[in-house]
Amino acid sequence: MSITVEAFNQEFENNIAQLKSFLLRITASVADAEDIAQDTYLKAVEKISTFRGDSSLKTWFFTIASNLAKNNLRAQKRWTENVTDITKAAALSNSNFFEEAMNIRATSPQGEFEAKEHIAFCFTCISKSLPLEQQLCIFLKEVYEFKVSEITTILDTTEAMVKYYLHTGRGKMMNIFEGRCALINKQGVCHQCSELNGIFNPKQNTQHELMKIDLVKEADKGDKEHLFELRMQILRELNPFKSKAAALQLHHLEHNRQVMEKYTS
Amino acid sequence: MSATAMAQTEKASTVKTTFSRQTKVSIEIKADAGIVWQLLTKASDYPRWNTTITSIEGNIALGETIKLKSTLDAKRTFKLKIKEFEPEKKLVWGDGQGTRVFTIAKKENGNLLFTMTEKIGGLMFPMYAKMIPPFDDAFDQFANDLKKESEKMMSAR
Repeated sequence: MSITVEAFNQEFENNIAQLKSFLLRITASVADAEDIAQDTYLKAVEKISTFRGDSSLKTWFFTIASNLAKNNLRAQKRWTENVTDITKAAALSNSNFFEEAMNIRATSPQGEFEAKEHIAFCFTCISKSLPLEQQLCIFLKEVYEFKVSEITTILDTTEAMVKYYLHTGRGKMMNIFEGRCALINKQGVCHQCSELNGIFNPKQNTQHELMKIDLVKEADKGDKEHLFELRMQILRELNPFKSKAAALQLHHLEHNRQVMEKYTS
Repeated sequence: MSATAMAQTEKASTVKTTFSRQTKVSIEIKADAGIVWQLLTKASDYPRWNTTITSIEGNIALGETIKLKSTLDAKRTFKLKIKEFEPEKKLVWGDGQGTRVFTIAKKENGNLLFTMTEKIGGLMFPMYAKMIPPFDDAFDQFANDLKKESEKMMSAR
């Protein structure tokens, strides 16, 4: 299949934001996400003669990026389900963490705190407790909206495997949030969205703010599948690099990654 | 028409002889063989979907040994060796007393026929036969759980 350099570059440009967001959520590292995105472009240029047009260029870019990510140590690293407990304890014992965060909150144009951003951030962290294949499938399907048939191409596996990973991964994530997330379960042990909103937005009525989010509004209905879908909708709508809360959340993610790398080493 | 294609869903039944006992169940499943195979071979995932198994430790792979606990005898841990491992077709595990065979065959209508048999026996069998609980209900439950979970996964968008 022949494609002009301009058209190829334009197509890469059209997909780079989603690609970087995907890589960030898989590696939990800004530096690695940017490196892999750049390597994806170089690899795509190098291999363009092998692209036959059997899939879209977007699928092809994600295939290259996923292969690179699978070889990335930070992507391979698995965290634990209680990552938010571990990283909270580490943050509370590290005075620099809140000092830096308050500085970002006060000075950065992307230093706002938004509960929705934190919900997406939290999903990214907890998804790293899934086996990597399950995590990749969940993000590709639920957040970046690839079809099962496209994911089989991206991950070079069978439809049966993709469906298995999706089903088991979704089930695990639903159960973890059902047990932990106080936004959807009054007995949930994790209240970090509320706690951080109280710290970073002290003038706001936190409960009032949270009730603006569909996930919270519909929590009482107790439909786990539906609540999972609402959570995924939040991730789909957010670009973790571009939002008004990006700087604060990326700082938080970097902290969590460093803590978890030590914890799981 | 082959024997496999003619085989039908059968509720669990047991055939007893003096020196052995064999229980068999078959069920039709509308799913990809790969999905059924994944469910049968991912040891740690069993308790999530299979109401007859409380835990399996170890890897379900040829030559490996697993430790299985079931609801049939909650206090006992069965150490079982994986004797055959033919992806998407046949899995066999067992110990000195018995052998369980799982087979997956494609039917002419495109669905799968899953069959599970377990034969226990030997020269000492008459001495302990009465201590082994009947398997029929657990076999039906196992087959129905596998069908339900496989078809649920298959229907994923």
